[in-house]
Amino acid sequence: MEIQVLTTEYVGKRGQLFWLALKTSFLTVLTLGFYRFWMKTRLRRFYWSAIRPGGIPLEYAGTGVEKLMGFLVAVVVMAFYIGVFNLILMFLSYSLLNNNFAAYAMSFVGVIPIYFYAQYRARRYVLARTRWRGVRFGIDAAAWPYAWRAMLHWLATILTLGILLPRQIFWLEKFRVDRTWFGRARFHQGGRWVLLLRSAVHLYIGIALTLLAVGIGWFDEAGFALLTLGLPWLVIGFVHFRVKSFRILAEHKTLAEHVKFRAKPRTGRVLRIYVFGNFLAYLILIAGLIVLMFSVLSLVLAIAPDGLSGDQFENLFTASEGVSRFGAFFAAGLAYFSFFIFWGVLTQVFVTVPMMHHYAETLSILNSHHLNAISQRPRDEFGEAEGFAEALDIGAAI
Amino acid sequence: MNDQPQQSNAVFADFVDGEHAAVQRVQVSLVYQNGEMLRIQRADNKPAIDWNLADIRSIPDQAGQTAVVLGLDGDFPARVIVTDAVLARQLDLACPDLRRRHKAPDVMRRLAILTAAAIASVAVIIFVLIPIMANQLATLLPVNGERALGDSTFEQIKAALGENEQFGLQSCERADGLASLDKMMARLSPGADIPYDIRMHVLNHDMVNAFALPGGHIVLFKGLLTDVRSAEELAGILAHEMAHVENRDPTRLALRSAGSVGVLGLLLGDFAGGAAVLYLTESLIQAQYSRGAEAAADVYAHALLGEAGVPSTPMADFFLRILEEQGDAEGLVSHLSSHPEARARADAAIAADRVGRQYDPVLSQREWQDLRYICG
Repeated sequence: MEIQVLTTEYVGKRGQLFWLALKTSFLTVLTLGFYRFWMKTRLRRFYWSAIRPGGIPLEYAGTGVEKLMGFLVAVVVMAFYIGVFNLILMFLSYSLLNNNFAAYAMSFVGVIPIYFYAQYRARRYVLARTRWRGVRFGIDAAAWPYAWRAMLHWLATILTLGILLPRQIFWLEKFRVDRTWFGRARFHQGGRWVLLLRSAVHLYIGIALTLLAVGIGWFDEAGFALLTLGLPWLVIGFVHFRVKSFRILAEHKTLAEHVKFRAKPRTGRVLRIYVFGNFLAYLILIAGLIVLMFSVLSLVLAIAPDGLSGDQFENLFTASEGVSRFGAFFAAGLAYFSFFIFWGVLTQVFVTVPMMHHYAETLSILNSHHLNAISQRPRDEFGEAEGFAEALDIGAAI
Repeated sequence: MNDQPQQSNAVFADFVDGEHAAVQRVQVSLVYQNGEMLRIQRADNKPAIDWNLADIRSIPDQAGQTAVVLGLDGDFPARVIVTDAVLARQLDLACPDLRRRHKAPDVMRRLAILTAAAIASVAVIIFVLIPIMANQLATLLPVNGERALGDSTFEQIKAALGENEQFGLQSCERADGLASLDKMMARLSPGADIPYDIRMHVLNHDMVNAFALPGGHIVLFKGLLTDVRSAEELAGILAHEMAHVENRDPTRLALRSAGSVGVLGLLLGDFAGGAAVLYLTESLIQAQYSRGAEAAADVYAHALLGEAGVPSTPMADFFLRILEEQGDAEGLVSHLSSHPEARARADAAIAADRVGRQYDPVLSQREWQDLRYICG
């Protein structure tokens, strides 16, 4: 039988994204952060629509309002949890152990299940708002089962110094994929976790070298020199593992039993995008700063061609302090946020877009004629959107 | 009326009906028949679908300029994907609301209600729930735990107030000054029934303030020592702080702040950060107890002074002087001075004085000077 293959086009252009990201980030700052729910929505619409398996774009159907509402709900729940939970922990810690280290440790540990819970809920929201060929994706409600599984897997991985990472990756992926739907058709993650072991070889070597370096360095400082080999090996090994395991996992996924997937991302390409993308973003940011400094300097020189005398120089500062301390504070805040905005925008332009491009282009769908019979699933209202993930985010509300 | 439909040239497009994941190759055209429509002509003799032009929306923020994705107003998943540039331009002209965003009917009202409810809930958590819990837990906390809580908050306060100094703010510990302080405490203590040792600290800071911490710490600032006029005034203030210790007011406050700090951290995005600690410190130094807690502490202090044979009128002098010096300026540094009803408290102190003018001085003139200059 002939195999029908859908390849994936990627049509996202950096220039278009740059203006969209810049505009929406700027609005986010102007609205003290409240626009970011709409910013996220608009950026996702762009990213989703750029990915076109078989020429049909994905569609993101989430809205900013529902994200804001979800965030409000999550803030109340989290305020209750953190306020009451912290208080009780502090009480127990002082009454049983006479110190508060246990309370601090516990309140950190207490946030971990919520972190995984939020992660799953956010995934559920995003999938529920993603469509392709007019049909909705979805994932079963299983955030708490996911959260405790994720914690146990992480614990096992940490206790085995990373050796069980492939097992963790496989089982958590299987947990999610087996509960994921396209319309009324279910995805299935096949294969076994040991299939991922081969792709983890360089990760293991990196871990071993790094541990060896630290172990020798403990007795003889020269041992730390081995880190110059161990750390890069660890980092590259990790990226290689993630890329390779992505391929292997994709090859063992099925949808509606017959539809299969092929993903061919390459480690070298992914690494290049990371390194060059971040470097380029950094260069442009620095260049921008230098240009800014020179324009301020030339502005000052235009006002006072002979340079400022000591008195004038002092006046500049006393004036700024006396007349408008608020103004100076505001300008500093604006500069601070602009820096991060530009950094965010540039990394999206030079890292996120090319990365998605690479992953999309190397993805194909086999036996695609089986897709045609897949029927629509009902809308998942999911009122709280990704509120918990937002609320746990650093700098969440203001 | 012309019953014959007028039809523009049909062009090919992709259509998904929102019911199945099949992409249908269709021919679309603009037709004029009882209004303007986009006609979607499907293959295999399936009936054509007409979309009212006024209901057609284009999906915004699409990547690339090669395709226009059309849908209907509302949450309908059916889509037409047009790649023909001519048709795209025609639709742009013909569809009146192509770029209008869908608005759920009462979304602003729901958002307003939800926002108000969220703010109210957080306020209830911070101002009602956490204080109630803190009050209950404070009475249950064992003495050892309370002492540990006090020790760590004292260290935090020293560090926060002396941020420019390497080891935090220094305690003043000149031996003769400490001896005077001990003597004063010994005079007051027999009347006090406190489960833990009172530990006195004088911090080298100019603030005119004194406050109590959980577990029997009482902290005086150098500024207070130089401001009070007599040992008896200071004894009144100490008796007041001992009352707070006895009533576990600082423990309640510390637990309450610990709860609120977490919530504030969540709201300000400073999870475990410095601002939270600063807030905690500030609230303990300010020691804004309830009016009832202050009144109770005053009553206790008057009784303590009476039993020790120390007059409480000097305490009233202190309140009145602070009132005179600072006027009604509220929120100035200390919980001793910022109380709005300072005059009422002074009157109460005078009324409660059982000792009068004849009394055994708390400290000799020399001992008093030693205490005032305990910081050198």
